[in-house]
Amino acid sequence: MGKGRFKLIVAAAIVVAGISYLMISGISQTTVYYYKLSELMARPSANTDSVRVSGKVVSGSIKKDSRTMTVDFVMADNNVRIPVRYTGIIPDTFKDDSEVVLEGKLDAERTSFEAHTLLAKCPSKYESQFTSETGREHQKKYGIQSDFRSISR
Amino acid sequence: MNDFGFYCLTAALLVSLYAFLVSILAGKKVNPILAQSGENAIISSFVLVALASASLISLLIQSDFNNEYVASYTSLDLPRAYKITAFWGGQTGSLLFWTLILTVFSTIVVFQNQTKNRELMAYVCAVLASVELFFLSVLTFVAPPFATLGAQRPADGSGLNPLLQNYWMVIHPPHLYLGFVGFTVPFAFGLAALISNNLNPVWIKTTRRWTLVAWLFLTAGIFMGAHWAYLELGWGGYWAWDPVENASFMPWLFGTAFLHSVMIQEKKGMLKVWNLVLIVMTFEMCMFGTFLTRSGVVSSVHSFAQSNIGSFFVTFIGLSLAISLYFLFRRLQTRQLDPEQRLTAFFSRESSFLFNNLLFLGIAFAIFWGTVFPIVSEAVRGVKVSVSLPFFNNVTLPLAFALLVLTGVCPLIAWRKASVKNFKRNFLYPLIAGILAIPVVMAWGVRGLVPVAFFCACAFVFATVVWEFWKGARARQAAKLENEQPEPFYHAVYMLATTNKRRYGGFIIHVGVVIVFVGIIASSFFRTEQDFVLKPGETGKLKSYTFTYKSFGQRRQENKDIALARVDLFKNGKKLATMRPEKHFHFKGEQPQTEVDILSQFDEDFYIVLVGWDDADAATFKIYINPMVSWIWFGGFVIALGTLFVMVPNRQRRALARTMRQVERHAA
Repeated sequence: MGKGRFKLIVAAAIVVAGISYLMISGISQTTVYYYKLSELMARPSANTDSVRVSGKVVSGSIKKDSRTMTVDFVMADNNVRIPVRYTGIIPDTFKDDSEVVLEGKLDAERTSFEAHTLLAKCPSKYESQFTSETGREHQKKYGIQSDFRSISR
Repeated sequence: MNDFGFYCLTAALLVSLYAFLVSILAGKKVNPILAQSGENAIISSFVLVALASASLISLLIQSDFNNEYVASYTSLDLPRAYKITAFWGGQTGSLLFWTLILTVFSTIVVFQNQTKNRELMAYVCAVLASVELFFLSVLTFVAPPFATLGAQRPADGSGLNPLLQNYWMVIHPPHLYLGFVGFTVPFAFGLAALISNNLNPVWIKTTRRWTLVAWLFLTAGIFMGAHWAYLELGWGGYWAWDPVENASFMPWLFGTAFLHSVMIQEKKGMLKVWNLVLIVMTFEMCMFGTFLTRSGVVSSVHSFAQSNIGSFFVTFIGLSLAISLYFLFRRLQTRQLDPEQRLTAFFSRESSFLFNNLLFLGIAFAIFWGTVFPIVSEAVRGVKVSVSLPFFNNVTLPLAFALLVLTGVCPLIAWRKASVKNFKRNFLYPLIAGILAIPVVMAWGVRGLVPVAFFCACAFVFATVVWEFWKGARARQAAKLENEQPEPFYHAVYMLATTNKRRYGGFIIHVGVVIVFVGIIASSFFRTEQDFVLKPGETGKLKSYTFTYKSFGQRRQENKDIALARVDLFKNGKKLATMRPEKHFHFKGEQPQTEVDILSQFDEDFYIVLVGWDDADAATFKIYINPMVSWIWFGGFVIALGTLFVMVPNRQRRALARTMRQVERHAA
């Protein structure tokens, strides 16, 4: 094996190691876990600094302030409830009883949630017009995801 | 019409099955008559698939809602152009469209190779037919485009997704598909070379133009997709590492690595196994991309369906990969794929290409990992996770930087072993240009290590290209002067580029890449965004822009209501434009859709979104100032031009080919 060849193999190994390092550390640092609210509350060990959690908006709990773009409401899932504060643009689909997915932080006492992203889907969207549900099914996701785009930061 | 389409498709399935079997037999027995028969079957399957496609299009135009596909993706109020483009707007239609392109390409391959590559053609046809067979089986058994609703026939269809009703969305999927399908051709030749044991680089040379065409369409498709996202999704950006975006980007990375490493095989007889692996992987990634888009296995903004075609795709990908690897291992033992030369020096063009490949693949694997990690995590640990933008950005940024620097180094560094003299000759001035770029961009207000480093690298790469053109043209002028035929500089540049189109076209593409990088870095690191709640007459201010919310308006179009805000935009007191961000309420859509308004300028885009309005007349706007986004689109255009330049046939070579043909004819 020549000297040049040896250097080459070492350099290639370094590059491969670097890429692997970036991938492994990247996954553990930036992965966001996704729970239902009841699952999250049932797991005291879960990392709660950046978490995605889903649940339902409790009817009548919404308090909006459009000047500061802040909304307070209560989210519920399987008899578990938690007050939520969200600041940002409120999607049109956010209403009483909407299914919501929040991204944000559960406070240390696990008694309130601070959301930086809010996605919502209307309850009505679960009904499809007729049997060809493939397209429909997706439109739900589609719309929700595009809302997600417009409000996430 | 519906039945006709169904029968055509079924017949196409049988014909492609015949083409597959008879071509394998022809390859095994080396029987030209059987091979001819296989080729005829491929042409027939094209005719049948074309007829099936024509019937689906005519059903779409007629709004025949008895057809499930027509009912699911169109409606009576949909403009006619979108009725036609709904052909590739939905699940089964787009699979049929895929198949149509594949049969067209296969037929062209058959006609191109009537008199050449005969030793490969039987297996080429077998591979092409097997891919056709796969898609036609999916269309027959899982996702039939001619399924009828019968008694459930609705009075009106559910309409095309409003997000897809956009010019860019009309032309973007065909480009991606042309790219995806295009890579099937070099794959078929590569695999045929393996199976038939003709391991000379003929398979690469003969599919060079196919590879370039596929690469061009894929590249164009990716840029168009980004452009569509920028205009239509209303979040101020153009790329979000969405699974479907990744689905188009992964094959691009493999294909680009392949385009680079074949040069080493052609020039040096090295990397033979590697190139076969790359083309196999490019093809598998194209299939994987189609799978991601079509199976709904990863939820995404662009994927259209949740269905059971996933298992079919996984099986096909696994099977084709296993077959390719089996033949590759068998041929490895015959030692025909051994390199003709060995790599000797660390600083050499060979090794710089090796690193180029390593980086392309590294990026591809990282993206692959990030894309499938949520699926793996849910399947293995039962935990739902999402891998978000930061992962992809953090991983790709350093790799992309290294790749950008190599863009400057690879084409100029000496073969075999680079000397200090060679380094100085090629890189001294570009290096100085890169270093001089630091104070220039700092004076412009650029701060931060990452953007400054990237802009330096861009300056360095651009300077290497300019320097190379300059040196080449001067050398040419000097040579001409010696022969007492003085040549003006611009003519020297022109002649230089046109006599080695492949090399200088490559440089043009690299310049495009530099322009794209400048746009991406500027728009990612220096973008400004802010929300404003304004009443009519009120004015907001962001950076050097002021804008006044004038009035609110409404209008109605054939399939939607439109709400719009009129906003006068000023910069430094001078009126630039009246912006009209809109919200569209499609009668068939379930939620309003945002139509942004963008004032695109050379240095930055003013991007305004009408988010909503309340009862008290106050409207909420989201405003982004995105620097240099237009550079990305322009850079993409330069890349396309460069690729076309590479593909233009050489005058001399064409003349040579003509003479050869005449000679052959005389001899016959």
